[in-house]
Amino acid sequence: MTDSREELIAAVQDVPLLSPSVSQLLEVTADPKYNIADLIRIIKHDAVLTARLLRVVNSAAYALPVEVETVDRAVAMLGSRVVVGLALGGAGDGLFTRPLDGYDSNGEGIWRHDLFSAIAGRYVGLKATTDFTPDLAFTGGLLLDIGKAVMSQFLVGKSAAMLADIANGTASDYLEEETRLLGLDHAELGYELAKCWQLPEVLQNAIRYHHKPSQASEIYRPLCYAVHIGDTLAMMAGHSAGSDAMQYQLESGYDAYFKLDEQDIGMIMLQSGEEFMQLEEVMALVMEA
Amino acid sequence: MSQKVVIVGEEAHSGQPDAILKTFALGSCVAIVLLDPATRVIGMVHVALPDSSVDPDKARDKPCYFVDSGVEYLLTAMSQAGCSPSGQGMVAKLAGGAAVMGGNDKFNVGGRNVDAARAYLQKKGIKIVAEDVGKNISRTATVHVGSAKVGLSSPGRDDWSI
Repeated sequence: MTDSREELIAAVQDVPLLSPSVSQLLEVTADPKYNIADLIRIIKHDAVLTARLLRVVNSAAYALPVEVETVDRAVAMLGSRVVVGLALGGAGDGLFTRPLDGYDSNGEGIWRHDLFSAIAGRYVGLKATTDFTPDLAFTGGLLLDIGKAVMSQFLVGKSAAMLADIANGTASDYLEEETRLLGLDHAELGYELAKCWQLPEVLQNAIRYHHKPSQASEIYRPLCYAVHIGDTLAMMAGHSAGSDAMQYQLESGYDAYFKLDEQDIGMIMLQSGEEFMQLEEVMALVMEA
Repeated sequence: MSQKVVIVGEEAHSGQPDAILKTFALGSCVAIVLLDPATRVIGMVHVALPDSSVDPDKARDKPCYFVDSGVEYLLTAMSQAGCSPSGQGMVAKLAGGAAVMGGNDKFNVGGRNVDAARAYLQKKGIKIVAEDVGKNISRTATVHVGSAKVGLSSPGRDDWSI
């Protein structure tokens, strides 16, 4: 087990670093009071990102009558959430589209599940009863499973036994099985990658505690709960193609931060489904390019 | 062989013996399969929520999102293929409605979907002849029109059928 853990940590070091502009975008947008002009300035200094944004905004998905030629207008059209998503989409040398063979995902990467989680987590954030930045839940959702993209190769051929252990009560959920087999779970491994990428601390915590928000420190706990519920709703909505779908415990305690009743949960699933269908096409232009 | 993929909030039906109707990763959603022995037409609707009254506008736009309006829409669609619009003589199979581990009543969307489907089909006089619902299993359902079998699969598990 110790060897596996060390191998996994070493595998994290092999994942390409984020580009400076993507890192800056995440840093800037992690501040609830960020200025959109700062976001535009960062994009303008990155020719690849500028070209990607202009390609997407001028694609058939948006069907604009007039071509958009400036970053300012592209950001206004796309919105900052989509801009962050498009910036992340090209990151990590295909990390988001890497097939999760260890999770028997039929060639699916993490990005579709994480996109739904991001959208749903933001809607959860809009139900906050305390001071909260819903867009942070979106970014946290996009990143929540980066650890799975690295861990997958170490779990190939093991899913049937893992599911059997959960079914017969040997393990409480998939996280416990990952830890039993490899010495740590995908949330912890994602946290290791987030540190390696020098992501803002708030996002590092969202990744680390997205299955166990109650263990996050108080200042990060509301965000971790929003991301946790977004992740759960994505699985409920069928946006999880792997063997671990519906194999995680829902943590209680979200009531302290979000006012969610039975009808809200249904409506969030509905709204997230509609927004997902709009964004999926746009994100696919970058993710599967 | 023709295969129709049914996404959430949609339906498909066929009377062709070699046709396949397929819907992926149901999660808490439910696949309601209606079988008409008289015409040998089979339809499937992939519903996400139990009751259309939560969003009447959405129900008009996408009736197949909800159990009640979804069943009605599927019956109307199947009537175009010669089936009774009231569902007379039909039987049903259900799949999906998975539960969240550790989830409370608020998150029991899958359970509410299954309960709503059972209740609505009973109201229509349509008997459920087989079902595989609940538990924490996200199912993919494949309807073989010729045999009326519903194949079920989930990553990491052996396939099964109802």
